Amino acid sequence: MAREKEKRNSQAAEIWRRFRKNRTAVIGLVILILIVGMALFADLIVPYSKCIEQVGADRLQGPSLEHFFGTDELGRDLFARVVHGSRYSLFIGVATSLMALVIGAILGASAGYFGGMVDNIICRIVDIFLCVPPILLSLAVVAALGSNMQNLIIAITVSCIPGNVRLIRSVVLTVAEQEYVEAAKSYGTSNARIIFRYVLPNAMGPIIVNTTMAISDMILSAAGLSFIGMGIQPPSPEWGALLSNAQTYLFSAPYMLVFPGIFIVLSSLAFNLVGDGLTDALDPKLKD
Amino acid sequence: MEQVLKIEDLSICYKTDLETVYAVNGISFSIGAGETMGLVGETGAGKTTTALGIMGLLPERTGKITSGKILFEDQDLCGMTEHELLHIRGQKISMIFQDPMTALNPVLTVGDQIGEALYLHNQDGLSQKEIDKKVEETLEMVGIPKERKKEYPYQFSGGMRQRVVIAIALVCNPSLLIADEPTTALDVTIQAQILSMICDLQRKYGTSVIMITHDLGVVAETCDKVGIMYAGEIVEYGTLADIFTGEKHHPYTDGLFGSIPSLTENSRRLHPIEGLMPDPTELPKGCRFAPRCKRCSEICRQKKPPVYEENGHQIRCHLFSGKEDAR
Repeated sequence: MAREKEKRNSQAAEIWRRFRKNRTAVIGLVILILIVGMALFADLIVPYSKCIEQVGADRLQGPSLEHFFGTDELGRDLFARVVHGSRYSLFIGVATSLMALVIGAILGASAGYFGGMVDNIICRIVDIFLCVPPILLSLAVVAALGSNMQNLIIAITVSCIPGNVRLIRSVVLTVAEQEYVEAAKSYGTSNARIIFRYVLPNAMGPIIVNTTMAISDMILSAAGLSFIGMGIQPPSPEWGALLSNAQTYLFSAPYMLVFPGIFIVLSSLAFNLVGDGLTDALDPKLKD
Repeated sequence: MEQVLKIEDLSICYKTDLETVYAVNGISFSIGAGETMGLVGETGAGKTTTALGIMGLLPERTGKITSGKILFEDQDLCGMTEHELLHIRGQKISMIFQDPMTALNPVLTVGDQIGEALYLHNQDGLSQKEIDKKVEETLEMVGIPKERKKEYPYQFSGGMRQRVVIAIALVCNPSLLIADEPTTALDVTIQAQILSMICDLQRKYGTSVIMITHDLGVVAETCDKVGIMYAGEIVEYGTLADIFTGEKHHPYTDGLFGSIPSLTENSRRLHPIEGLMPDPTELPKGCRFAPRCKRCSEICRQKKPPVYEENGHQIRCHLFSGKEDAR
């Protein structure tokens, strides 16, 4: 057991060593840690009450020492709203893309690996879903289930699954042709084990990149849904909702758009950089 | 001698919407415990298809066994369900693949890959520790230091990888090993090492081996019995002595020997067999080899040749039917 643990440790150390070599990935990781830290310790940075406290006298104030990011049209402190909004946005982004990844991986891998009837059925269902624009699909789901955080996550996940299935199926198709998959069959490995131990790990590269990029997309679709009142309900802060709220005051108070915008861009950039770095670090084929 | 594998009149074809490829047409042979049987032939002769047929690994939608039996330890493999086959593959029959560069999973350590078959067919209830120990033993057996079990396939050279592939195939002590051109992708010096290693291990464990190759040198070195395949048929079948030193041969066998340089005879040119293998979607009516055969006659084009047999040495050719002294 001790040896097993030591082996796992050394493997993690090896991955970390390779990850560290990629400077941009490390920068991404630092940004990501800062943003995640901000989400985790939001209450320590600024109390939640500040997000919803409306001060009539302080409406549409520009950035100042008192309000770092200024205030919105109701006099709420934007800094507090951005800090607490990270909780919603990051959670929605990560949860939806992970769920879409798991479901997409199971469906896509089965379609690509088994082929034939299974492939046909899964692909035709995916085709039907792809006929509907993703935003409409999410809308339909939210309209059917009612709008709250949980249903918003389900809605965005559903709209993201078809694309994932397509991508993973195509990657799996090339991996399943490899001789080591046939070799695995020749020593009596069951299909499920082949998919999870041989096919998916070898298809991981594009899947990781896609998932990390999806996180930023998901944050934006959550924003879109919030904009039309189908997502996070006010007064809860959420980056997308802040952004759409700011549109009305684009010329009089541009800072309202700039700060949440910067955080959306920074977090999606960080996810992408880390995803890129992880792909290289996790791939044992790439020596140093 | 007890027969480990007995194949009777096996035919395999690949069916697609456009055409049917008759890859293997009515071959029969048997292998006793501890024997090595060589299957020799050009590319496309149906050697690999035969191997995949035995393993039950033919492509699901196209490959089909149309007739015949594959009796392994007196059980017919053709009638088995996928689930029953899982217990035979890897444990009782295993396979060495042609190209070691692609036959290993790049994301698992070699130790994990060798342990995989043990883990899957764990009938003695081995603990993880015992599996680890067995993996180390197997690695040492194929000449790789056990410390390297934590390394990934990319850290090994081609010859070393083939050793790993062999370790995977042998770790469960199978009763039948199918080696599908195990040395084709390797250079000559490594070839000899790998072959002698396979032979040593075979003697040690009493494994039967089907050696698929197009290299007659490999056959001479390793096999007890030889089957020469042409266009999905075994055209000549006999002991190593029958094929290499026997008097009578199928013209195709003669052609194969004419295609390799001899060390003892002085000849300016090699004598390759003219022409190509017939299109397996449209096989000739009579003898399959007739279009390329130098000694072909009218009857060869019209009628399928019967099997001529002498002390177990079988030749499928009109030259020997009826007239004893055709040569």
